[in-house]
Amino acid sequence: MNNSEQLLRRLPNDIGGLPADAIDRTEHALEPWEKRCHALADVLDFHKIINTEEKRRGVEALGAEMIGKLTYYERWIATFANILFQKGILTPSDLARKMDEIEART
Amino acid sequence: MDLSRTSADAATKVVLAQGEAPVFAPGERVRVLTRSPVGHYRVPIYLRGKSGVVESVIEPVGLDNEEEAYGRNAGMKRHYYRVALPMTEIWADYDGSPRDGLHIEVFETWLERI
Amino acid sequence: MPDHHHDHTHDHPHAEISQTERPGYYEIMETAVRELLIEKRLIGANEIRRQIEVLDSRTPALGAKVVARAWVDPAFRSRLLANGRAACEELGLSFYDDTGLIVLENTDTVHNLIVCTLCSCYPRPVLGLPPDWYKLKPYRARAVSEPRAVLAEFGTIIPDDVQIRVSDSTAMVRFLVLPRRPEGTEDYTEEQLTDLVTRDAMIGVVPVTLAAERTAP
Repeated sequence: MNNSEQLLRRLPNDIGGLPADAIDRTEHALEPWEKRCHALADVLDFHKIINTEEKRRGVEALGAEMIGKLTYYERWIATFANILFQKGILTPSDLARKMDEIEART
Repeated sequence: MDLSRTSADAATKVVLAQGEAPVFAPGERVRVLTRSPVGHYRVPIYLRGKSGVVESVIEPVGLDNEEEAYGRNAGMKRHYYRVALPMTEIWADYDGSPRDGLHIEVFETWLERI
Repeated sequence: MPDHHHDHTHDHPHAEISQTERPGYYEIMETAVRELLIEKRLIGANEIRRQIEVLDSRTPALGAKVVARAWVDPAFRSRLLANGRAACEELGLSFYDDTGLIVLENTDTVHNLIVCTLCSCYPRPVLGLPPDWYKLKPYRARAVSEPRAVLAEFGTIIPDDVQIRVSDSTAMVRFLVLPRRPEGTEDYTEEQLTDLVTRDAMIGVVPVTLAAERTAP
């Protein structure tokens, strides 16, 4: 299997059996926004606005570089935004405007 | 002819819809397919082409999560099977007891009887 | 192997975040997405608040209660092994994420370990949210191919005549390990037993021991 083919055939998160480092058992308590993001994921699934499998697919679709560099919940929220755009529920300009508004008030 | 009366045979003959009855039974030997879809999947690469034994049928039936991944929240349902595979079948250089095993749920469309 | 970037995968925060710091880009994005969906009446603000309460109410103490009950009540243990979800529901637990539950019993000949190689599937209704290491590459990549080495990193040495069964969660079913009841606990009350059962024992990376003390989370 050549490398470019492998990029499509193996999803970035399909890592079972790959070589990896020793386990780092450091734990962090979730930031409040991370917990809100988790609750948002559950509520989006309850309504089937974004089901759990769509979320997983959306995370894979971020690609290996983003998956490697973003934290767990950063990947989730970026995924939600992408899927909501794809579904026409939000537009990129809706989100940009709202983010500016929030940044201005905090 | 009295249509309100039916024979005992006809009254008890239940026809299941396609996909309702499990295709594989516990104890049967199965192989995980090697197809490589372009899109989403939930069958890890390390399992492809590996053989094992059906340990149990998972109830109830579920949607194909490769379809769910694209927003299809309804449709035909099929069974998942909990399949047991020896570690030595998966990893040629497995370092451990030959009795060690891997257990995983695989959707019906990914299995073939051997 | 192709040049993937897996080795750089990490879930821990990039830096310590102080309370006074302004919200980061992704935090602002979370607020924005949530507020936009609420404004469009696709979800309710109360639904998010409620789900946070649901998440906060799910901790390893629930799983520990299930395990201790199974240790003292053989009929419950049988029901739990036959249908994990139904038996947990008897104790008032709900499966808000609509997952099934298979409870895997450790014995003197079998040791179970759970992992999710593809993402982070975990029995959240009974254990709460998973620890960071469960979601990170080293555990996910190695638990399926070298479980004995992984267990050894947790200080757990499994004799060669004990079979290791690794369950990789990928679909609708989640797993909970029913650890072995430690020797010397014959006189313990159910409550005392509950206090011995740790989250990690229910993932299968450590046994339950008398020295263990369950701590949050």
